[in-house]
Amino acid sequence: MVKALRWWWGILLAFSLTGASALFLPLPFLNEVVIFSIYTIGCSFLLGRVGFISFGQPAYLAAGAYGTAFYLFYFGANPYAGILVGVLAGLGLSVIVGPLFVRLRSDYFALVNLALAVIVYYLMQKVLADITKGDNGLWFLTNIASTPVLDISRPNQFFIFALLAAVAVWAFYKYLDDSIYGACCLATKTNEDKLKFLGYSNYNVRLLAFIIANTTTALAGAMYAVYLGFVSPEITSPARVADPVVVTVLGGTGTLYGPLIGALAYTGMKDVISKLIGNWELFIGFLLVFIMLAGERGIWGTLQPRLEKLLFRNHAMTAADERGEARR
Amino acid sequence: MPPDNGVAPDEGEILSVRGLTVSYGEAKVLFDINLGVKPGQVVACVGRNGAGKTTLLKSIVGFLKPLSGSVTSGRTPLVGMPSYDIARMGIKYVPQDKKVFSDLTVRENLELGSYATKDYDWDRVTGYFPKLKQLMDRKGGYLSGGERQMLMIGRALLGSPKVLLIDEPTEGLAPSIVAHLKNVFGELSKSTALVIVEQNLPLVCAIAARVYALKEGHMVAELADRESIRPEVCERYL
Repeated sequence: MVKALRWWWGILLAFSLTGASALFLPLPFLNEVVIFSIYTIGCSFLLGRVGFISFGQPAYLAAGAYGTAFYLFYFGANPYAGILVGVLAGLGLSVIVGPLFVRLRSDYFALVNLALAVIVYYLMQKVLADITKGDNGLWFLTNIASTPVLDISRPNQFFIFALLAAVAVWAFYKYLDDSIYGACCLATKTNEDKLKFLGYSNYNVRLLAFIIANTTTALAGAMYAVYLGFVSPEITSPARVADPVVVTVLGGTGTLYGPLIGALAYTGMKDVISKLIGNWELFIGFLLVFIMLAGERGIWGTLQPRLEKLLFRNHAMTAADERGEARR
Repeated sequence: MPPDNGVAPDEGEILSVRGLTVSYGEAKVLFDINLGVKPGQVVACVGRNGAGKTTLLKSIVGFLKPLSGSVTSGRTPLVGMPSYDIARMGIKYVPQDKKVFSDLTVRENLELGSYATKDYDWDRVTGYFPKLKQLMDRKGGYLSGGERQMLMIGRALLGSPKVLLIDEPTEGLAPSIVAHLKNVFGELSKSTALVIVEQNLPLVCAIAARVYALKEGHMVAELADRESIRPEVCERYL
């Protein structure tokens, strides 16, 4: 029981704090933070664990979002079913392109994913405009039916759903990090030849990581679609391809809580600074350059060792005090 | 599949290399190499730097594709087979560079070896290398050269490989660790065939039952009796 709690406490604490912040922060902001963090965790896993930088995450986000949007616009009204369709769409896209993409080295991998994002953008904007409604997008907010128990057509209940989904995603990624497969991912990043000599196929390790990461991204896309009740090609705009990479680096690449901290910081900066300054994107650009130069480990990557040191020092001091008490 | 040069592998050999020619691009680096390893035998390859010893091991484990010739284990041809399948067959390679997975702990490094082979008998590994027990939670990046070598050999031992190919295991190590490795190789050879590329001739001559000498990519000598496996004899071929 204690062991299980120790395993869960970080995730539960992180998302309990996020949930509690609804008392003083606006719900749309928090919904965006939670969805953005799910969007980013796949990118962080690919970059931090496998060594793949992907500028194509909006393509998988769009696969999830449009999968959900098509279902809710044309076929059904149940948002949970819509999310499931979106996730399956992302899974399908990853399974189709993954076997080709993961053969490439990291720099070409980044470029081919960027190309995919551009292709998906033009598909949704122009080629498939008859069914995607082009730049006007698909509006289906009024099509979404109320659901029993947790009615995610309502923003406040959607927030609870988003938190639960995020806890599940984080638990899954923590499990991956702790597993042999997580070790394989790190090993393929640091020395792929050695992994082969141990009897592992680097290709299989990378393909699985690619599918897991991009299916998670598709889940974020599906959640965006249900939350906003609207999807347009803007979701896979080439101008937005760097967002998940920036948030990954800002939060701390490959760290478990980096995507959540990064999403909170990025969305917060965007919201606050855009209210104060006209050309806010320029300011954020400079701010990010400064943050990355100041500490390449990102916010969580910098904070984590200090927190651990503080906690362990307190723990050690408590233990010493207890020993002293016992002696007295 | 018959070997390219028509020379059949010996019946009792667990690993046979016949007529192996390997090139890096246009430049040939190994010429018509023959080598045989029997179960439980210790075979050594000696030669100067650049003689082609590492290239030979890398070709055996599928990391390099030969121009011609064959590598077989029993009746199974290994040429064209991916490295990870060769490792799964029990032919393990311990490279020269002594680089372990630096972000992973010793425990995680061993777990990787165990998961691939489904062999979780770490007592055998720590029996050979007791020091690893104390280092379980230390990251690979913080190990000394000797500790890294122990970890690499220990990890390769998981799954009880048929053949262990070890590239320059004592290079840059303290004499006490070299002496320890010598004992370990002696013990290991009771259950596993060893192919060792090594420049430490006293060590080679103490443990090897067969010595192949390589010079500029050619096999210039094969010493197979105790009388001739002596450092001063091996030295002649370097």
